[in-house]
Amino acid sequence: MKKKLMSVLLAGAMVASLVACGSTTDTTTTSDNTQTQTETTTTETPAADTTATASSVEPVRLLNGKPEINDQMQALAAKYQEETGNVLTVETIGGDTNASDELKKMYQADNMPDIFVIEANQAATWDGMLADLSGEDWTNKTGFELVDASMGTIGFPYTVEATALGYNADLLAKAGVDPASLTSPDAWKAACETLDAKKDELGITAVFGWCAEPTNLGWSSGTHVFGQYLDAGLKADDTTYIDLLNDGGKIDEARMKKFAEFIGMMNQYSDPALLIDGTYDNQVAGFKEGKYVFITQGNWCVTSPDDVSFECGFAPYAFEDGINTIIAGPPSYWVAYSAGNVDGAKAFFNWCAGDSAQNILVNDAGLVSPFDDCQYEAVNPFYKSMNSYITAGNYSGWHTMLKKDGLQNSTCNVFADYAKGKLDADKFVSTMAQVIADYYAQ
Amino acid sequence: MSTFSIGRKAVSFISLIAGIVLAIAGLGLSIAKTGNASRGAMLIGGVVLFFIGLYLFPTLKHHRSIINFIFLFPLLFAFMVTVIIPLVLGIGYSFTDWDGIRMKSVVGIANYTRMFKQPAFLWSILLTFLFVVFNMILVNLVAFLLALLCTSKIKGLGFFRAAYFLPNLIGGIVLGYIWQFIFSNVVTKFTGTYSMLSDTNTAFIAIIIVYIWQYAGYIMLIYITGLNTIPGDVLEASAIDGANKTQTLFNIKLPMIAPTITICTFLTLTSAFKQFDVNLALTNGKGSVEFLGSYIANGTEMLALNIYTTAVINNDYALGQAKAVLFFVILAVVSIVQVRISNKREVEL
Repeated sequence: MKKKLMSVLLAGAMVASLVACGSTTDTTTTSDNTQTQTETTTTETPAADTTATASSVEPVRLLNGKPEINDQMQALAAKYQEETGNVLTVETIGGDTNASDELKKMYQADNMPDIFVIEANQAATWDGMLADLSGEDWTNKTGFELVDASMGTIGFPYTVEATALGYNADLLAKAGVDPASLTSPDAWKAACETLDAKKDELGITAVFGWCAEPTNLGWSSGTHVFGQYLDAGLKADDTTYIDLLNDGGKIDEARMKKFAEFIGMMNQYSDPALLIDGTYDNQVAGFKEGKYVFITQGNWCVTSPDDVSFECGFAPYAFEDGINTIIAGPPSYWVAYSAGNVDGAKAFFNWCAGDSAQNILVNDAGLVSPFDDCQYEAVNPFYKSMNSYITAGNYSGWHTMLKKDGLQNSTCNVFADYAKGKLDADKFVSTMAQVIADYYAQ
Repeated sequence: MSTFSIGRKAVSFISLIAGIVLAIAGLGLSIAKTGNASRGAMLIGGVVLFFIGLYLFPTLKHHRSIINFIFLFPLLFAFMVTVIIPLVLGIGYSFTDWDGIRMKSVVGIANYTRMFKQPAFLWSILLTFLFVVFNMILVNLVAFLLALLCTSKIKGLGFFRAAYFLPNLIGGIVLGYIWQFIFSNVVTKFTGTYSMLSDTNTAFIAIIIVYIWQYAGYIMLIYITGLNTIPGDVLEASAIDGANKTQTLFNIKLPMIAPTITICTFLTLTSAFKQFDVNLALTNGKGSVEFLGSYIANGTEMLALNIYTTAVINNDYALGQAKAVLFFVILAVVSIVQVRISNKREVEL
């Protein structure tokens, strides 16, 4: 009898624990409801004591892909609640976790945020699932929104980034080189020779801080530098070479040849210690210390005026005569999930394009505003130069973001082999053509 | 005649039926996403009721099997949910055009034919086999020599054992980044050339070196255990008979630890096949090589990393899944052979 009692007790304990587990899974599966409820209650309280605008808009979840501005995004959410009474929940994905990969998991788990970050070529993956934002107020204030052929205006630009050859203006002035003259291969060659001859006088290690190391910096050569082949010298909406590329991986060999010669010049005048096995940190540190005159990065590499003691600017990759553009535009966008809270997302975007949000994004987060009416000047040391190109209309698009996913991992190796001297300019072109065609054929 | 009371029979059948109904209703509500908060409780309650009914089921003949099933159920359930169902789904996905988000159509064996047309993937397979062969030999050799060292009568034995084992406790990613620094900043100071990691051939050697450094200590421990089980009287007898050190090693020690060698060989074999983290952190698969007449950009990319890159970086989940199925088949064959051989040996012993 005692044994039976024990077994009943044990069974009871097991059942109880099972039920306990069951109830926890239960709350997680229905968390959509409970969460919404709790969050609306928190919404009402501040709305009641700040303004009379009763918030009819439900809370909005935003997935931020830039971990470095997480704090500022939280401040933005607080400001949004303070001003409008609406709730914005910011979740940040950072470090090595890739936002698009995480989003897939969220989608499978039926846990999609209302606003999330995508790169331009990922729009196709989400075909039919992103809300059309055309006609919203903010679209009149910027030319940088992402427009998709089938879904309409889908992307809200939250920042503008630029890439070209960043230069140290003080060193150029000392050597007597005018950066405005660097719009042809011959001018570049002459400038490189002058700078190289005055190495000791200027106290520099090399003319270029260019790193073609593929393992950790493949994104730099394979996406950004390669992007110059696609876009340099073209107007922002000119898609000639990206269309050619996406048509089964074709390249313009004549243009690629000139590009290859320009890269060859960069290889020749680059710091050998950096070129083949350097790191991003060494590259940027070398530029900040004035060891290199040019750097092959964008405005993200020097974000604060305190980092540098000299003036920064951008010069174009002038591998053909007359190329005078830098690549500028939003590298990624915020989009609204059409099955999510679209009204809430639209309301947030309109607020975000306004003054108080731009204040936080520009002055605190150090981003460059894509909006025409933004009154804040970015603190970024490259901003002045960047802005002069944008206002003059001399900027090209980030069409490199539209190439097939993962192509940069193949092309960056060709840059590395070229840097090592395994390939010459002609071989660079033919190898590039073969690698790209193979990748598109897969 | 009946050994069971009416009451027990009634309780059993009612619980069984009510349990099944509740569980199905709960499941149905979950699938229909009606948002009914009690659906989870319904499902769990139903399952519990079903098991109570099963436990009380009026049978003497099958009672023992029912109890066995009830006790095994939690484990079987977990195994189903975490291994069997994902495996079946995974194989299913490999026949579709799944992109990680949606599945638009079933493409049959297109992914399988496509993957064998990729020189880069064939190269990955070849490289993985090369890596496995090199590692199986080198790791075992180094580990055995270390084990001999650590069973000899040198001073500071404990320190040596711990020091050789320590790298195994560091995660592969961390290790990869440490060695990346060593190869590109320390080794280059001596050689004066660029980093070993920038050339495919030397990068492959670098991965092998790091892998041996990480894994030899672990295998060494197994060899030490093996060497310590050799009976002292055998060694003593051989010493009295005048065997020198080489003779003792080749004629006494090696034959005596043959089962250990088998175990270690298979351990290195399977773990080398699954090499991922060091590969990812050290070279991320980069490096160029001429293979089958074309320039390939993933010169140091092994199978596991190739699958990861295909799915996550190149955004081709279905193709990655097809490659993973092949990977599973290869590993399954290796494991079955391993089990066969070790079973045979145990019988012989």
